[in-house]
Amino acid sequence: MNTTIFTLTLRQISSQKRIRLAAIAAILAPIVIALIYRAGDVGNPVDWTANTLLASLMITLVVPLACLLVGESAMGTEVEDGTAVYILSKPVPRIEVVMAKAAAAILLTAVVLLPVMIVAPVLSLDGADGEGIVLGFFVAAALGICAYTMLFVLLSIATSRPLIIGIGYVFIWEGLLGNLFTGTRYLSIRQYCLGVADGIATAPERYFEAELGGAVSLILILGVIALATLLATRSLSRFELRGED
Amino acid sequence: MTKKAGSAGAAPIVVDGVSRWYGNVVAVNDVSFTIGPGITALLGPNGAGKTTLLHTIAGFLQASKGAVRILGEPAFGNPAIYGRIGLVPEREAVYSFLTGYEFVLIAARLHRLPDPEEATQRAIRATGMEEFQKRKTGGYSKGMKQRIKVAAGIVHDPAVLLLDEPFNGTDPAQRLQMMELFRKMALQGKCIVVSSHILEEVERLADDIVVIVAGRLAATGDFRAIRRLMTDRPYSFTVRSSDNRGLAVALLADTSVFGAELKGDRLTVQTSLFSEFVRAAPRVARDTGITLRELVPVDESLESVFSYLVAHSSQSRGRG
Repeated sequence: MNTTIFTLTLRQISSQKRIRLAAIAAILAPIVIALIYRAGDVGNPVDWTANTLLASLMITLVVPLACLLVGESAMGTEVEDGTAVYILSKPVPRIEVVMAKAAAAILLTAVVLLPVMIVAPVLSLDGADGEGIVLGFFVAAALGICAYTMLFVLLSIATSRPLIIGIGYVFIWEGLLGNLFTGTRYLSIRQYCLGVADGIATAPERYFEAELGGAVSLILILGVIALATLLATRSLSRFELRGED
Repeated sequence: MTKKAGSAGAAPIVVDGVSRWYGNVVAVNDVSFTIGPGITALLGPNGAGKTTLLHTIAGFLQASKGAVRILGEPAFGNPAIYGRIGLVPEREAVYSFLTGYEFVLIAARLHRLPDPEEATQRAIRATGMEEFQKRKTGGYSKGMKQRIKVAAGIVHDPAVLLLDEPFNGTDPAQRLQMMELFRKMALQGKCIVVSSHILEEVERLADDIVVIVAGRLAATGDFRAIRRLMTDRPYSFTVRSSDNRGLAVALLADTSVFGAELKGDRLTVQTSLFSEFVRAAPRVARDTGITLRELVPVDESLESVFSYLVAHSSQSRGRG
């Protein structure tokens, strides 16, 4: 692990105002929504917490968007404004650069989101037995953060439009097409996360059920992380800097 | 130095038939030259392909055709080479949240120097940035940014230093100090390449010159020889007078003039000797009783100097 690039990236990400604002929103929104649900107290709390709060809000929306924003700040901004040259013109193996950049992005995202993955569901369950969904979604979110971040770091290196492509992937591929065609579930980080959560949780099917099995999901999500790391490294080894002339 | 035996005799930078295009746009077109130790200026108008060429040499662009060797190795996809190369990019962006000291220290650490703090202090001293090292680079002036970028580029004492327009935004005092630094490094046998679009900026600095115009190599070699080529080139003047036709005839009799063209109320005169013509023209006008109203050199821009060099060098290479 290259600690110089790691700490530089931590500072680089956290020095941005938009990141700090997004972090506050990512913490407050789920907690406020959980509290509103608790005040209203409609339906089954396990059902609502698993499907609405954790699956629909956190795994589908908050986790990918946070990873997109932070992953892009870790690598994309630097590639775009040319400062990447200061790191790349050094005798540092490219895999070290990718790992250090991604590790910093993952750490910051996890520090903000993982506590929310516990606090928000505990609030909405309001003492009811969650039957393993809190732990299940916690592990799913941790893996999801790794997978989405690696994917967006890869997009930041390999494409010139990481934000647009990232948003397109999350909303169109995983969102729209995921609802229309079942085949896309095998190529969807969201479905892997839900599969992992379901595999760990003991909650009965009538409350929460994922489309993919737990073991398959775990293998697929680890595969995505490994593949994205490999491709990002390869892409960075052949990285070209665009000049102004 | 174990590497020395292997690369003995070969120039630190060898550019061999390099072309680089982006889609349909050719940025660098079949360029070949070598750069030896000492200071070399890479000169050309803006947009000529200097940055593309420097990035290709530095391994940040892949040549579409041809090959580049730096210290005997290709740089593209070879990050280990950066232990012996320093690159100072043109773009102004630095990590604005870092102080100047931190910025250079990070470079020293990434080079895995045995004593990064000491190397950082040395590089900051060499660029005269001691006074500003504790300030955030985001608040630096252009000249300070240039100098802190140079400090980061030389922190590992590289054998080859590539600088893209390092004098942009610097004041004359800073420029002199930087030139002094480059000269010192050149005396130690380093290979230093400085790109610029301003001839005067580098003519007192560089021993050798590589001129790039519109992606092509226009001239390469000893700076003085090329400077002579530039001063020997023909100059054009536009002349306005009370009798252009009469003046043209009279001027053509003068030895310094070899061409004259009448177009409307404007007379264009070609001469090979700038100062002699400037002295001769009023005298000729007076002798013939013509009133000289205006005498303006038409092509004093650097671009015209460069295009003359292109035409000249392609003629001498028999390309036409």
